[in-house]
Amino acid sequence: MLTMVIDDSRAMRLILKRIVAQLGFDVVEAGDGRQAMDYLEANVLEGGGEIPGLALVDWNMPEMNGLEFVTAVRAEPRLRGMTLMMVTTESEQSQIVRALASGAHEYVIKPFTPDAIIDKLALLGLVSNGVAA
Amino acid sequence: MTNPTEDDLKVIADQVWSSYLDLDGASPLIPHPHDKPVADVTASVSVTGAWRGHVLVSCSEQAAKNVAAALLSIDFEEVVEEDVADALGELANIIGGNVKSLLPEPCALSLPHVHVDGSNGRYPSVTEVCHLDGTWLAESVTVTVLESTADLAGAPV
Amino acid sequence: MTLTAQEFAFISGLVRRDAAIVLEAGKEYLVEARLLPLARQSGLPTVSEFVNRAQQRPEPEMHAKIVDALTTNETSFFRDGEPFKQLVDTVLPDLLARRAATRTIKIWSAASSSGQEPYTLAMVLQDSLPAGWTFDILGTDISTEMLTRAEAGQYTQLEVNRGLPAPLLVKHFERNGAHWKVTPTLRANVSFRRLNLAAPFPPMGPFDIVFIRNVLIYFDVQTKRTVLQRVAGTLRPDGWLFLGSAETTIGIDDRYERVVAGRTSAYKLRASARAATPVSAVGKG
Repeated sequence: MLTMVIDDSRAMRLILKRIVAQLGFDVVEAGDGRQAMDYLEANVLEGGGEIPGLALVDWNMPEMNGLEFVTAVRAEPRLRGMTLMMVTTESEQSQIVRALASGAHEYVIKPFTPDAIIDKLALLGLVSNGVAA
Repeated sequence: MTNPTEDDLKVIADQVWSSYLDLDGASPLIPHPHDKPVADVTASVSVTGAWRGHVLVSCSEQAAKNVAAALLSIDFEEVVEEDVADALGELANIIGGNVKSLLPEPCALSLPHVHVDGSNGRYPSVTEVCHLDGTWLAESVTVTVLESTADLAGAPV
Repeated sequence: MTLTAQEFAFISGLVRRDAAIVLEAGKEYLVEARLLPLARQSGLPTVSEFVNRAQQRPEPEMHAKIVDALTTNETSFFRDGEPFKQLVDTVLPDLLARRAATRTIKIWSAASSSGQEPYTLAMVLQDSLPAGWTFDILGTDISTEMLTRAEAGQYTQLEVNRGLPAPLLVKHFERNGAHWKVTPTLRANVSFRRLNLAAPFPPMGPFDIVFIRNVLIYFDVQTKRTVLQRVAGTLRPDGWLFLGSAETTIGIDDRYERVVAGRTSAYKLRASARAATPVSAVGKG
């Protein structure tokens, strides 16, 4: 299964990439929402390529932030198969509510341990017994 | 609201360290007052909105390289300046974001700024709210919260 | 490693006597790791010196802290996932039919540690039970320190990050400074009490569901048997028992039969083993 890792921090992309690659997912990186959207438009919507099953999305990014990306993806019926998990420092209750209301399926607050991500992926049915389901 | 305290910074730092920098619990950030905090590298984020100020993370060059090595999973010897900027910037982002959640809502966090030349940026009209001095792998690390004392037009608040 | 064989034997004896926990050879590393914070708090540099002092100056309070440190279980919300899914898919539909007259469900979470399991059960029931139904969760543990934490219902960001679906976090918790605290609504249905599983139980239950997960593994076979027997006395004849994912009653206690529930197992009393009348409840049980 293909996973998108969308964060403007190279360090954070590396950390997340390592976690999902170990589970057996293929990874595509993007440095902001705009880059991620461009990828989806070119490779999936127009190119007919594989729809990512999962996207790990930071909130605060230049160009197009995570909330805007989530909103855009959820507005596109052809991307309905994407599970959207925000991974962010925004930890106010109101922010989490906003993200879920905009269509994010899950939410992880930074700092997180790998188990935090893996447990949530298991609850979403994307991971079973420690590997991609 | 009550201002963030050194204890709050300790709670936040402990969580950051145990998640990314001290996974086995063997090398935590140990609170330790510094007579002269070392600030070879400083990363900061600014907070705007219902509260205005900055959150800074300063450390020695050695500590900065250790942060980069840990976050990027590379050897200490391989770390270059770009790695330090990115790693410290993300550290300030995560610590700053957690400090922001203790402040009145709504607030926004800026993208991080990193100085690797011993300067720590200029913050006119600020007052220190709290700071945490610590030692990690025998090197100095300091987290500081500064509140702006002037409004957007430069008049004292 | 500073612990001597004699010191390890002293500690093993202590926890065996007080909590029926079995620490076999090979668990020295566990004792070192778990007692190091206590040693530091007492101002001693090594676990060995700390244990030495505990031996020479027996203090019930320090002994209790030692037992606590060694019996604390790591826990998280929705741990292992599947049992809670089966609670919704298999157990509750069954009980909704059987308890239609009383419309109330009682659950016991044994070895509840810092409280994540009872609060998870409370969230599941609050969100799954139809209007007009009530429920009660009892959390018990041998450690007063853990019980105090569980009573407070307050968790760090790292703790709520693990296993807890975000929609449930915002529904059932409120931020409190850097921590997250269970809402009063959720808290109202959960109570806590100190209980040593290795000792005879006070009057309890009867429970419709018992969760006793990842604690039996610390006991020897005889104690496991005794505990499961006591648990049977608190369980309704048609009640459900859930163990840890690597645990089973098979080979230990014949009065239970395994029931496949989704990708996990649950246990029910065999018809032949059901008590004529359940143990009577005293107060909230």
